[in-house]
Amino acid sequence: MVGATGLGGCATKKYVREQIAPVSARVDTIEAKLQETDGTAKAALAEAQAASGQAQQNGQRLDQLNGRVDSVDQRLTVQERRVKRPRN
Amino acid sequence: MINLILALAGLASVSAADDLQAGAKPPETEATASVESLRVADWIATSGDNRKLPYIIVDKANASLRMFDGKGKPLGVFPVLIGVAVGDDATPGVGSKNLAEIGPAEKTTPAGRFLARFGIAVGKERVLWVDYATSVALHPIPKTVSPKERRRQRMLSPTADDNRITFGCINVPAAFYSKTVRPMFQRKGGYVYVLPDTKPLEEVFPRLRVQALTSARIR
Repeated sequence: MVGATGLGGCATKKYVREQIAPVSARVDTIEAKLQETDGTAKAALAEAQAASGQAQQNGQRLDQLNGRVDSVDQRLTVQERRVKRPRN
Repeated sequence: MINLILALAGLASVSAADDLQAGAKPPETEATASVESLRVADWIATSGDNRKLPYIIVDKANASLRMFDGKGKPLGVFPVLIGVAVGDDATPGVGSKNLAEIGPAEKTTPAGRFLARFGIAVGKERVLWVDYATSVALHPIPKTVSPKERRRQRMLSPTADDNRITFGCINVPAAFYSKTVRPMFQRKGGYVYVLPDTKPLEEVFPRLRVQALTSARIR
């Protein structure tokens, strides 16, 4: 009687495999998606970092140009001998 | 806005009825500044774009300016009169025209970043040239303008709508000009940042794009 009850409570390996299979498949799918998302995120981060670096470079270039414009502007004001009338 | 009104009330109370009382403490600025003005001020302060020179931010939409010393310390907000036409560019060649030749649509105060310096203008008058090429200067209300233009009253009024009257120059209260602008800009000049009427802020000040990116990265 006890043995029969014990046997009835145990699941067979086949039964367990059958139950786990769909869960395992879902886990595999999620893992694959996770890896894909991770890859996309890493690529996006790399692109953002590259863009940030480029923006920094552009900013520095802008600063250099601003400096040159400033000096040209200054020279223009100094060199212009004609006395101008401001636009009031 | 309240501070600007206070500033204007201060203007109105001057017995000489000319301008802000000499030596009067200017009102605080931060509470009244527009978002655009704050953005530009933040960028200048963090990037050091003013190269340790004093600077002014002209907010055309609010017909006011904010003055800062070389270290970025705000010195006050003051009303201004600006070009009668809405627009952010100067017509090519406008700087060489006589006042009478300048058409209504050409009377804009150009937006941008300008290295301003004092220089001699017609009549041996010294003005702060903001954009010498297009003849835009910052100075008090000229004595030669017609009283019909009611420039002083426009400057005193609490609204910004009637402050568009000049040919493109930036008119400021005389006492502010003589007590603050002249001593600070006299030797090495300074920067004048004119906020746009219609153009996007980043188009006029491209460095703001980088500033936004850097700020986002810090966060």
